Amino acid sequence: MKITILKENLNKGLNITEKISGKNLTLPILNNVLISTDKNFLNLAATNLETGINYWTLAKIEKQGKITIPAKFLFNLISSLPDKKINLEVKNNLLFIECENYKAQIKGFNPEEFPIIPVIKTENFIEINNSLLSEGLSQVVDFCASTQIKPELSGIYFQIQKDRILLTATDSFRLAEKTLYYKKSNDFSYSSGEAKEYSFILPQKTTQELLNILSEKSSDNAKENKLKVYFSPNQILFEFPMLDSPSSSFPQLRFISRLIEGEFPDYQEIIPKKHKTQAVLAKDVFLNQIKTASLFSGKINEVKIKIDPSKNKIEIFSQNPELGENKSSVAAQIKGSPLEISLNYKFLLDGLLNIKTSEIILEFNSGDEPVILKPVGDSSYLYVVMPIKP
Amino acid sequence: MTKDELWQAVLAQIQFNISPANFGTWFKNTGILLKKEKGVIVSVPNNFSKEWLENKYNKTILNILRGLDGEIKDIKYKVVHSGLKTKPAENNLDEINQLEFPEFKINKETNLNPRYIFENFIVGSFNELSHAAATAVSKSPGIIYNPLFIYGGVGLGKTHLLQAIGNEIIKNSPRKKVKYLSSEKFTSEVVTAIKNHSMESLKSLYREIDVLIIDDIQFLAGKEKTQEEFFHTFNALYNKDKQIVLSSDRPPASIPSMEERLRSRFEGGMITDISLPEFETRLAILKIKTQEKKIKISEEILEYISSHIKRNIRELEGALNRLIVYQKLNNQSPDIETAKTLLKNIILHSVKVANSKKIIQSVSDFYDLKEKELFSISRRKEIIRPRQIAMYLFREELKSSFPFIGRKFNGKDHTTVIHACNKISKEIKNDEKVEEEINLIKQRIYSI
Repeated sequence: MKITILKENLNKGLNITEKISGKNLTLPILNNVLISTDKNFLNLAATNLETGINYWTLAKIEKQGKITIPAKFLFNLISSLPDKKINLEVKNNLLFIECENYKAQIKGFNPEEFPIIPVIKTENFIEINNSLLSEGLSQVVDFCASTQIKPELSGIYFQIQKDRILLTATDSFRLAEKTLYYKKSNDFSYSSGEAKEYSFILPQKTTQELLNILSEKSSDNAKENKLKVYFSPNQILFEFPMLDSPSSSFPQLRFISRLIEGEFPDYQEIIPKKHKTQAVLAKDVFLNQIKTASLFSGKINEVKIKIDPSKNKIEIFSQNPELGENKSSVAAQIKGSPLEISLNYKFLLDGLLNIKTSEIILEFNSGDEPVILKPVGDSSYLYVVMPIKP
Repeated sequence: MTKDELWQAVLAQIQFNISPANFGTWFKNTGILLKKEKGVIVSVPNNFSKEWLENKYNKTILNILRGLDGEIKDIKYKVVHSGLKTKPAENNLDEINQLEFPEFKINKETNLNPRYIFENFIVGSFNELSHAAATAVSKSPGIIYNPLFIYGGVGLGKTHLLQAIGNEIIKNSPRKKVKYLSSEKFTSEVVTAIKNHSMESLKSLYREIDVLIIDDIQFLAGKEKTQEEFFHTFNALYNKDKQIVLSSDRPPASIPSMEERLRSRFEGGMITDISLPEFETRLAILKIKTQEKKIKISEEILEYISSHIKRNIRELEGALNRLIVYQKLNNQSPDIETAKTLLKNIILHSVKVANSKKIIQSVSDFYDLKEKELFSISRRKEIIRPRQIAMYLFREELKSSFPFIGRKFNGKDHTTVIHACNKISKEIKNDEKVEEEINLIKQRIYSI
């Protein structure tokens, strides 16, 4: 293999692929990135056997070939080089790197040992606007269950419908649901015109990687870009088109992941349909008071909230036998009956921080039933949290 | 050679050709899914393994397979969901206070809550028989005691026992289809099915069940269409020797507006009751609960609680929870005096007094009559008896005078009242069923 490539292009590709290749002690080849040539393109591939990534970038290819190199190490080396042309050459499983006044050689592994990243053989796909998806996912990604006790809760539940996408995550203590409405015509489209509905559970780790890639992409100053999604029964493929040369035979990036087997619980049953007490209040004041109260909460992160409709006021109280106690109150428009409830402040903050509006709605039924948090004037986000036993 | 043995032989040989790391990565959870005349289908856990075996090891595997079985000419690979069973959740007691979405704890297919098992069911003389019958049923469902009918007052552990039967059967034979539901849920399913014209699919759904458990069957009273549907389901399951378990707050004979053919079927199996726990059992229950919750509460207090709360195990637990909260807040165990003040509400609440309103309400509820009907002048049989029982209860529980009771019931003569009271007392003496009936009504009066 002998090629010449711009440092910037190589660096960008390595930055994305390097994150997938993890530390794997039993199979060290997985810590590597596979560098290979494909006609006029250089291909970088990495996998952790759950997800796999392929990245193509234009390069001047003099001689075809391939090699695998420790990913992290190569990325660190390349990013320290000056912004110039880089020559890469492979001889006897050694990678020779030349850039201006730098010269390096790295020992590689046999590329034949590198896993084969699966492909999805289907023509049908959907297209989704990058920024729409990225914004939606970031609001739910943190709420998956981290344990493997209930595998179906360890991912984000996607429901792709004709007029919207629903993203849901829950760890059985709280639940977040985000609805993505298609506002512009290029927000969403089907490849074949058939309007099929899809639903699947995407592992949390994959989702975080996808968000990473999406955020890299948004810095490409092309916010209106779309990604393609291909489905198979147990895998999913995200494909980002090549921006510089749209007609090229390769996309810029293909990201494949397994899906979580199992059925996501019928979470609509969890969301209370009625409420006995409703409060509308300013988010920032409330957020700040919860943060203050959290300093005093004990081991179980308990913060008590008292809703008083007669005074239109919410009182926040926390105490710790070793430290002391704290009380504060915030004005609110309250409808319904008075109520006292204990909540885990961490769960409450997580919900509050994902709400973008300045005013929020809180809805309660009783001290041991779920609480709803939602933004005022925005029906696309919903956060449900279970209280602490009174 | 079976297909499993064949694959083991393949694995044994492949080990020599590749490194242990590669072997562990690519051949874990593989197997032969299907063996046909000339080919085999190899199951692999994921697409990465599939690609790798197909492209890298296909030749080696094929050679080995042909060495073992000359017929085999071709191998296909298929991704198979490993159905990896994860360990059940470990109960983390530190976080026991953080509530979970209750819907997630319940098994979706069976509706069973895994918390209710025989191991944490406390047996005393008051529920011995029911427990024995339930364990027998869970060991050989459908064969003995079919249907099993358990009845008893509120908060005495009927639901626990019912769910334990289901959980135990699933534990012993995971393939059995168990379905637990309340009769209210059953009714609403029937109603939805009627609305959506999907009765047939509901029927076939229920007829595939191996163990059907229905809680609080008394709520089917008066719902004729549901009763009819249940009757057919019952027969279909019964004829196929499928186990049916039912619970109710009273014996089948006392459930009003229940069709005769259903009632006789309920009585055809085993009927057991759960009565009130005695002091020792109540104390034992409290002790086990404190162990479960890993807290220490003095014997004296436990005895105090169990001697004052008599009628309901759920209330026992409520009292205990109150003490736990106190302990958490103050970081010290309550002493007997604090406990008394803390529990004042619950205990006062549980020393309930009967009054005329409660008696009327309970009696009319029990016999599914309107309260007004008890006071009407009707001489219909189905009203006369409940009215006599109500009069008897007025006399027994409130010590009201005969003329007073007569006036209360629409100006009846005091001799009518005397006759009623005598008649019921005699019946109680002669017929255990009547005694039970009266006891159940009393329980209701005191639990309102």
